[in-house]
Amino acid sequence: MAYQEGYEEDIDLAEEIDLLANEFTGVDEDLEEEALQDQMQLQLMLQQQYAQEIPEVVKNFIIYFHRNILENNVYELHGIYENSFNRLTEKFYAKTPWPEADYIAPMVNDDQVFLTLYRELYYRHIYSKLSPTIEHRFHSYENYCDLFNFILNSDGPVSLELPNQWLWDIIDEFIYQFQSFCNYRNRLKNKTDEEIALLRENIQVWSCYSVLNVLYSLITKSRITEQLLVSKHGGDMIEAAGEYGSRPLYKMLGYFSIIGLLRVHCLLGDYTLALKMMDNIELNKKALFARVTACHVTTYYYVGFAYMMMRRYADAIRAFSHILVFIARTKMYHTRSYQFDQINKKGDQMYALLAVCIALCPTRLDESIHTHLKEKYGDHSSKMQRGEEGLQTFEDLFLYACPKFISPNGPNFDDPNALTQTIEPHHHHAKIFLSEVRHQILIPTLRSYLRLYTTMGIDKLAAFLEIEAEELRTQLLIVKQKSRQQKWISGTLLEGEYVTTSDLDFCLKQDMIHIAESKVGRRYGDWFLRNINKFQDILAGMNLRS
Amino acid sequence: MNNDSLLFPSPLIPPSRPEIIQSLIDGVDRYNPDNVSILEEYLAVQLQNEEYDLMANLAILKLYQFNPHLVNEIVIHNILVKALTAIPNPDFNLCLYLLQEGALNDENVAKLITLQQLLEQARYQEFWDSFEKDEAYKELASEAIGFENAIRKVIMTAICMTYQSISADLLRSYLNFTNDDDEFESYIKSRELTIKDDVVIIPTNYDNEAKPTVIRENIKFEQLTKVIGYSNEL
Repeated sequence: MAYQEGYEEDIDLAEEIDLLANEFTGVDEDLEEEALQDQMQLQLMLQQQYAQEIPEVVKNFIIYFHRNILENNVYELHGIYENSFNRLTEKFYAKTPWPEADYIAPMVNDDQVFLTLYRELYYRHIYSKLSPTIEHRFHSYENYCDLFNFILNSDGPVSLELPNQWLWDIIDEFIYQFQSFCNYRNRLKNKTDEEIALLRENIQVWSCYSVLNVLYSLITKSRITEQLLVSKHGGDMIEAAGEYGSRPLYKMLGYFSIIGLLRVHCLLGDYTLALKMMDNIELNKKALFARVTACHVTTYYYVGFAYMMMRRYADAIRAFSHILVFIARTKMYHTRSYQFDQINKKGDQMYALLAVCIALCPTRLDESIHTHLKEKYGDHSSKMQRGEEGLQTFEDLFLYACPKFISPNGPNFDDPNALTQTIEPHHHHAKIFLSEVRHQILIPTLRSYLRLYTTMGIDKLAAFLEIEAEELRTQLLIVKQKSRQQKWISGTLLEGEYVTTSDLDFCLKQDMIHIAESKVGRRYGDWFLRNINKFQDILAGMNLRS
Repeated sequence: MNNDSLLFPSPLIPPSRPEIIQSLIDGVDRYNPDNVSILEEYLAVQLQNEEYDLMANLAILKLYQFNPHLVNEIVIHNILVKALTAIPNPDFNLCLYLLQEGALNDENVAKLITLQQLLEQARYQEFWDSFEKDEAYKELASEAIGFENAIRKVIMTAICMTYQSISADLLRSYLNFTNDDDEFESYIKSRELTIKDDVVIIPTNYDNEAKPTVIRENIKFEQLTKVIGYSNEL
């Protein structure tokens, strides 16, 4: 703790740097604005001149950071990683990069492992706060290669230990930068000849195969699959884990790589393979992913999204509501987390997806989620019930909340048209998804009529709806099939059986529709439980005051 | 309630899948471009033997996605044709998601999408009209042995889910048995259904039963832990 006080006092010393840095602050927070890159480069060059003048407090921090890495002091590293680094970023590097690794090398005895870890943070900071140039993208990739090489290909397991949060962020950021690079590469418009030449010569950089290779290697090395099987079915954990997997660094990186693959496969549009990655992971509170909030949220977002794309809306709703309840309940704990904004954004996106799923598969939700959904997307929800004109709303919500899809191969550099075209994979996915939605747009209207009767003739209902009797038969066949969904009951996430997901069912006896509604008995329990809790809070409040 | 819906998802592990395919798609070998021919040959077997293996076919599309130079359009068409026979499972769209952005505009893929849309929208007569009228459709489906019967099965399932009794004429047109009464009757018999006075009777099943039920509230013990906790404080 002594060191912390040390740097708080030293802040004055650094104000000078702050002033200098402020001259270059015209940078938009918006990421990946290519137009700004020239300006950025100039800024970087100037910045490097001042880099020698690293504030004393930052120097102390780096030395302290280095010492704790050497000592594998995970507890201190946790604080350094989650708090100190971000606090110093706000103070000194809100709009400029951290000092380059080369400049700090002398302070840490040129410790290459530390410098690689430092660069991981250095580039991540550029990606999140500034706008990465093509060189940054390439160098960051090389740095990840160095890091994973060190972890995977040293003689025997490395003794490094890092906080779980950081390990998750390494995998998460690795995939984010891969995704960001793919989208960058697909926009050749506004790129200089030099940049295009660089992209063309370096197609192996951030390639799908290299990224998958890292994730699968971490899984194999850590023997995480074997470990998960033993924890599920019993057996000798030490033997299953082996030399590498028994170390937390390997175990957690292997585990997070599974979640990473769930995400990568979703980004590539391979939803079955995405869920297949989760074969040995059970979705429950005791699972390892729940140890890191960001990982917990990511897992459910992608599981829910994959289910939605597989037309398993009931399963998607279950996944989204689970995690949204979790986010709401733990809000007070993560408001101060550096990832608070990110988690909130994901939460908002999941409410949007939830609204879409509910429109396609009306379901009773947890009370608090339902209220929040109504507040946020009430208008959208009612629009989505309005047939043809609701389609736009489906599309808007989908595009707002879908992940940033990847088109894995990049443009064809030999095709002159490629220079002006932009590959936008999200339109591909939206188009296919919406074609599915389009089949269902009449269902809400039809259901609302069916609800009013127990038997009804085809002709009569067709007249109400102002459509042909034949068309009504067709619509009824659609309603019937859409009211059945594959739903998870037990086993792996991909397993499931067809069940009825609608409270309204019907059958046709030639020209007569027979309608049956399953009613939900009144739910007293939930109401009483909430009010008991409320009452208890009031009592507690009164006790405090008296 | 006991669930025996007439629908069932495409099996994750079809019984007909050979060992070699199983180990290939389970491991990292699925990314090895050299293995695409093994999977393509397996698809040929599926087409020949009226079998279907979604996961193996998706593995082909995955290899195509990463290695555009491997793409064989005929293979893509055959995979999509097989996916048509799995409707109302989402298989067809799951395949489309893996294709490149431009692929949806390919003339033949667009044709197959038309067929998919007609089937998903239960426009069965229109489906057969298109299919019969345009040789190109038959050409696309020509390698899939038993394609027409597989589609009849898709339609028949939807009918059996929805109807308890249906006019024989209507069913005949849905199933495209318009010219041949004998064929229609033997088909109906093979599905163990009966025709009486020109009406086909479909026995009740999970899906066409339409029985009203009341869902009762189910409070789990965990929900009560907090309340029980309060009683300790008193």
